[in-house]
Amino acid sequence: MSEAIALALVVENLTIDIDGASVVDGVSFAVEAGEVMALVGESGCGKSLTAFALLGLLPDVATIVEGRITLDGLDLSSLSEREMQRVRGNRLSIIFQEPTASLDPLATVGAQIAEAYTVHHGVGRSLARAKARDMLVAVGIPDPDRRLTQFPFELSGGMCQRIMIAIALICAPRVLVADEPTTALDVTIQAQILDLMKRLVAERGTGIVLITHDMGVVATIADRVAVMYAGRIAEIAPVEELFARPSHPYTALLLASVPGRDQPPKQPLATIDGQVPAADRLGEGCRFVDRCPVAGDRCRSEAPPLVECAPGHRAACWHRDRVAGLAGIAA
Amino acid sequence: MARYVAGRLLQAAIAVFGVLTIVFVVMRFSGDPTLLLVPEGASQEYVDALRVELGFDRPVVVQYVDYLGDLLRLDFGVSVVQRIPAFDIVAARIPYTVLLAAGALFVAIGVGIPVGIAMAIRRGGWLERALAGVVLTGQSMPTFLSGILLILVFGVVLGWLPTSGAGDLDTLVLPSVALGALSMATFARMARIAIVDELGKDYVRAARARGLSLAGIVGRHVLRNAAIPVVTVAALEIGNLLAGAVIVETVFAWPGIGQLAIQSIQSRDFLVVQVIVLLISFVYVATSLLADVAYGMLDPRIRLAR
Repeated sequence: MSEAIALALVVENLTIDIDGASVVDGVSFAVEAGEVMALVGESGCGKSLTAFALLGLLPDVATIVEGRITLDGLDLSSLSEREMQRVRGNRLSIIFQEPTASLDPLATVGAQIAEAYTVHHGVGRSLARAKARDMLVAVGIPDPDRRLTQFPFELSGGMCQRIMIAIALICAPRVLVADEPTTALDVTIQAQILDLMKRLVAERGTGIVLITHDMGVVATIADRVAVMYAGRIAEIAPVEELFARPSHPYTALLLASVPGRDQPPKQPLATIDGQVPAADRLGEGCRFVDRCPVAGDRCRSEAPPLVECAPGHRAACWHRDRVAGLAGIAA
Repeated sequence: MARYVAGRLLQAAIAVFGVLTIVFVVMRFSGDPTLLLVPEGASQEYVDALRVELGFDRPVVVQYVDYLGDLLRLDFGVSVVQRIPAFDIVAARIPYTVLLAAGALFVAIGVGIPVGIAMAIRRGGWLERALAGVVLTGQSMPTFLSGILLILVFGVVLGWLPTSGAGDLDTLVLPSVALGALSMATFARMARIAIVDELGKDYVRAARARGLSLAGIVGRHVLRNAAIPVVTVAALEIGNLLAGAVIVETVFAWPGIGQLAIQSIQSRDFLVVQVIVLLISFVYVATSLLADVAYGMLDPRIRLAR
């Protein structure tokens, strides 16, 4: 029972269709309070769709055909739009890739932070304003009184992302979904934002679902990682375990393609041959089969289930025994 | 902001000066202006005498300086037909046209903006299709036709409203609707496009993620952002309303400057026409200037720029 309470967000068998193709297929994972759970994968693997689905913000073309999303025991998939509005920004928040574009250019940042509070707590302007000021201090923005009256165009991208984090956390949500939160920022700013997120998670016990394609970001901040490929989870494990013993060929090749500091200059980087299959050409078997160096006959006909290979470490591959040889640099 | 407004004022001044010059050039170089002013069949002696009296025999440069000087003193000349200052003739008509333009603008904005908002929010639904029919009608019906149809339906058949002349407020209704219909369609289309455009932006998705309802997002964020392009259109529409007033005032026998323009052209009262052209041009420039200033006040990126 105590275990069930610690789980802030549970996603079970989430399947999202666009035009009849399952672009997210049977995705399951859970996030504990105060934990950073990373969803990693290349563009189009369904990680951002998964993020939007959690908030009920999927574009019109995409529909959830199966699955349950449970936040603190509350089944979000059963909620009406009106009920979902009370959850968004309050118990479940999201920050986006483009912080500057995510702010209304004609409203002061103070008004936008305060709005996130007043919409869920019917309080007066001055109280919401004081709360907004507290949040600016919490996200490490100097001179908060002046910043409150400024417009988004007067702030840098990193500053805007701090504002977005302040908006997302002002109602103290259980879980924060962060969709590529540092991708649009300079590398030095990225590190600051990641540190900030890490600190806030520790202080407040907020669970984070971190959507990223950047293994460096994963290594910096994540506690656990789910590697997604073509709409499915290929492997899920605690972060040290995943980096040390990747058990899916995609994970192994992905890790091998990350240049390390010992990478000799001007040498070609390791790549994975081929491309992600188009959504309308997904076959019966493993979705990675066409690019997989260790694939066998079974991989074409039968999709491998996620199987536990170590405590908390599961991978969806028929030939896990052959993966160790691929790890190369990563191992 | 001060620098922005100063820049726009300078542009407006240049535009007004350009208009004055074009009017002068058109008047002097489209033939002998004296001939435009005399009644048909006037004697050559009379024409020559009038030419000297009006100074058209002097060098063009002298006439131009003189003309600008007169305008600076707000001296627009004396109507050859009525023998009273041309400006006074026009000024007597201005209140009627202002009233008509205000009525038309009220119809155009009061109907057009809500229709545009409804179309944007109910995109793809039956309401949008129904309203699209209204907009298309307003947009495609020429004013002289819609004016006559309005007279026929509401004046003749139903007998609800007076159909000509200016008097009580009820005389204003039909001309305002006829004149405002086209602008209504423009406002509706512009508002719809601007709002749909804004609804697709990232900050709307972020506002939804904060827990706002669609109505809340539109009311608090989208309308203000969408207002910027619409305000610009509004300014141009005021100019178009004045141009459209020429037809509507004729159809409804409305004694404004549009009707006066037609009458003055028919009676070859050239100086009165000149005043009207200058006046309408000035209004165009002034409303564009106002739109630019309003634009700056709405957008902090301009308002706060130094």
